Amino acid sequence: MNSPLSSPPVWQIGPVTITGDVVATWVIMAVLVAASLLATRHLALVPTRTQAVLELIVGTVDQQIRDTMQLPPGRYRAFIGTLFGFIFVANWSSLIPGVRPPTAHLETDAALALLVFLAVIWFGVQAGGIRGYLATFATPNLVMVPLNVIESVTRTFSLLVRLFGNVMSGVFVVGIVLSLAGLLVPIPLMALDLLTGAVQAYIFAILAMVFIAGAMPPKGNKQ
Amino acid sequence: MTLNWWTLGFQTVNVLVLIWLLQRFFWRPVSAMITQRQATIRKSVDDAHAIEAKAAAALATTVTTRAGFEAERQTILADAHKAAEAARASLLDTARTQALALQAAATAAIEAGRQAADAAWSGRAGQLAIGMAGRLATRLEGAAVQALFLDSLVQAIRALPEAVRAGLAVDGVTLDAVSDAPLDDAARAVAVTAIHGAIGAQPEIGFKVDASLIGGLELHAPHLTVANSWRADLARIHDQLPGESQPAPRPKASNAPLPLATVPTAA
Repeated sequence: MNSPLSSPPVWQIGPVTITGDVVATWVIMAVLVAASLLATRHLALVPTRTQAVLELIVGTVDQQIRDTMQLPPGRYRAFIGTLFGFIFVANWSSLIPGVRPPTAHLETDAALALLVFLAVIWFGVQAGGIRGYLATFATPNLVMVPLNVIESVTRTFSLLVRLFGNVMSGVFVVGIVLSLAGLLVPIPLMALDLLTGAVQAYIFAILAMVFIAGAMPPKGNKQ
Repeated sequence: MTLNWWTLGFQTVNVLVLIWLLQRFFWRPVSAMITQRQATIRKSVDDAHAIEAKAAAALATTVTTRAGFEAERQTILADAHKAAEAARASLLDTARTQALALQAAATAAIEAGRQAADAAWSGRAGQLAIGMAGRLATRLEGAAVQALFLDSLVQAIRALPEAVRAGLAVDGVTLDAVSDAPLDDAARAVAVTAIHGAIGAQPEIGFKVDASLIGGLELHAPHLTVANSWRADLARIHDQLPGESQPAPRPKASNAPLPLATVPTAA
């Protein structure tokens, strides 16, 4: 049995290693994009049932952004929504036999956490400029600057570790139980793993919104 | 546990690409459709509000027009009421006038009828009384009655003016002593003597009989009649009855005695 923590390479082109996680991510990307193209082919003012579901998804994401960030959702919709959708689909990809969720590996979670870290800076600078963004580290006062700087890094690691730990542990548990018991025994654990995957996707998206909103300058101080 | 930096890089790029792709093919189209629908709904709501405002304005106009209709109706009704009241008053005045005229005419007719009836009944009563008196008077006969009539005749002749009495004594004039019954010779002689004495002359006197006198003795000259009979008395009484303008009917002669004295009347 291979270690769940290991990610065996699929291709090796010189120093470039293409692991199974990357391939799985490409497949997920292809599925999501293809599904989007299929679903949005016939958008109309009078919605079909499929379009109603799509609009419900978009509306829910927008509402979550409004409730969490207290900001118009247009600028953050694609980032937050895609993070949630990708993590959700990646976590639930464990339902397919032989597929290991990309999020069960450290590189994918690190990439997601890195993107959140960069997005905080990007949106913060966009909203308040560089000085405005840097000024957010001095809240509530200058004494908090070191702590806020450290926090901006550590919370990124917390994102990484939280997602990785939950998904990886689920895969571990299912793998261990499957190796010890019969075929049907891990099913409850797999169902719990699905719930955990959905919750982790939601938590990751919510925390990303909270971190981005924390980088916004206070109201009335926007540039 | 090691970190594969190539994988980290690939995954980072993959997620960025996925964000871009989904932004292009999912989030933006669906969001645009939501926005478009919201705009359409907003426009529909605005149009509905505009239509509602127009409807409200039309309703207000209609209400105003209806109020105008109501005011005009009230004015027309008031004018009609005034006209009807004037017509009613005019008709009432006309009817009252006509009624008063009819009442006056009816009252006059009733009064005239009542007077005519009174006169008719009075005439009938007079005729009845005269007839009854005539019947009673025809039963009075005899020398005493003749003497009374002769005495009355003498007094009437003496009451005549002197010139009239002188006219009775003109030569050639024959006076007629008319009685209701023939007089015997003695009565005639007494009558001639008394008449000559009353006239103061001795004209020729003839005797005639007229039963319609009922009772009495009259002296008829060519131009003078000294009425002294029950018939003349009853005619005079009848003429004096109230409501009597017509000459009294002549009572029929009968055998009844004469109960009343007569007053001579110069004709």
